Amino acid sequence: MNRWILDHTQAIHDAWKRTSDRLTQFVVLVCLLGILLAIPGWLAQIWLGMSSLVPEDAVQSEAIVFLKQNLEVEARIDLERTLSEMSDTDQIVFVPRSAALEQLSAQDGLEPIADLKTNNPLPDALRVRFSVQGVEARENQIIETLSGDQRVLSLRYYPSTRIQYASLVEMLGFLGIGLSALTVIGVLMAVFLVAAADVVDDRRRIELYTLLGASRRFIRRPYLYRATLLGVLAGLIACLVITFLNEVLSSVLASNLKALDTRLENIPMDGRILIGVASIAVLASWVGAERAVNRRLRALH
Amino acid sequence: MIEFESVAKVYDGQRQALSDVNFRLAPGEMAFLTGHSGAGKSTLLRLILGLETASSGVVRVAGTDLSTLSGEKLARYRRRVGVVFQDPNLEDDLSVYDNVALPLRISGFSESEIPKRVNAALSRVDLSDQADASPRVLSGGQQQRVGIARAIVHRPALLVADEPTGNLDPELSARVMRMFTQFQQLGVTILVATHERAVVESLPFRRLVIENGCLVSDGMGVAR
Repeated sequence: MNRWILDHTQAIHDAWKRTSDRLTQFVVLVCLLGILLAIPGWLAQIWLGMSSLVPEDAVQSEAIVFLKQNLEVEARIDLERTLSEMSDTDQIVFVPRSAALEQLSAQDGLEPIADLKTNNPLPDALRVRFSVQGVEARENQIIETLSGDQRVLSLRYYPSTRIQYASLVEMLGFLGIGLSALTVIGVLMAVFLVAAADVVDDRRRIELYTLLGASRRFIRRPYLYRATLLGVLAGLIACLVITFLNEVLSSVLASNLKALDTRLENIPMDGRILIGVASIAVLASWVGAERAVNRRLRALH
Repeated sequence: MIEFESVAKVYDGQRQALSDVNFRLAPGEMAFLTGHSGAGKSTLLRLILGLETASSGVVRVAGTDLSTLSGEKLARYRRRVGVVFQDPNLEDDLSVYDNVALPLRISGFSESEIPKRVNAALSRVDLSDQADASPRVLSGGQQQRVGIARAIVHRPALLVADEPTGNLDPELSARVMRMFTQFQQLGVTILVATHERAVVESLPFRRLVIENGCLVSDGMGVAR
């Protein structure tokens, strides 16, 4: 155990020495990786922000369910009760055919047409207003169930702006994942190249250590510690950049945010993103350096 | 201690560096390996250090066939061998003390053991007063002595030297060779590769002469 601590302490010391020997290169790399990693982090922040924000005055999804002619009152009430017990419905309003005719006429700017009053072609209907937090998949499921119901003649579904916006957010999410993957590959390659160049620079020293009986693990350790330090600092910078950009965006959109929700002071920052970005930074740096150093050492030996 | 049995080494399937080399070096024996540049001395030393593997034949050190070693086992084997180079290969950013302590740290010696061994090795090469100095401020001869101290600090059973006096004047060369003689008297097996006839002829040790990759002569020398 004592030996293990000593070996690792020495490796950390070597890593620090190497870092201070090439401080400018290290600082530039940390900043570059930090900014690179902030891009997917910020995209994720925007994405999560977009998908979690619900405008207070958002238009809820609605369905007009036309009932079959001559449907018995009990059957209609049973359907109303079934719908109102669903967690995704907010309000069920019965619209009798006479009221529908009056509303239609009023909408069109016409007085109820006298002859239609006696010969009204409209069926009774239920107006189903879905919950403001409604999810597209569950709403679609309800619509499908209703379409197959014997009591229903036909229906019209008007998805909310939120549901329409959700599909846009989903598409942006895929785009973000693609961009994030590219950025992580970029980080891996940058660390790989720098670590490989470090090993080549230290060739003479590595050969000496090999001759003195150092194992590959012993030789590799300082490079991995250096990469870990690089990852930690790059992750920290990425988190700072994301937080800063979020603040800037919040101040720019302050009035719009108030319009969305009066309680919103700024776009809420998601802690999972910061943890994720920091973890990816450390992991990508470590993996990049490990691959590069192993490959170079194999070539040297 | 060292045993070469019909050893051949071919690089890239074309260049024959060693061909049918046979010799044995007993424990505690000292020998010179001589020959012109490119004769195959360095290849032979690289085989002993496990930096190359023989294309055919067997290289054994202390009874171990080196072709069977790899990874951690090979590293452990190298920790039992001392190496002296023509260029002492010191780390400029470490002090003399830390340079000498390197093999001990690599081998996992305890921190309480390291100062005793390093001080003993430095005193053996008369550099105790330079322990805290940087190798940059030392003369060529002093640097070579630091390299020797680093090679013997872990008390290896085998010491391999590749042109250890190549950069030294005759007086310093003689001093270095006297050190090797002292180590040999302590029971260390020593193989010194050199092309300097004056060095070889000054001491009464076994001489292995290599030419074009073949061992052409193996006999005891007589000091002049």
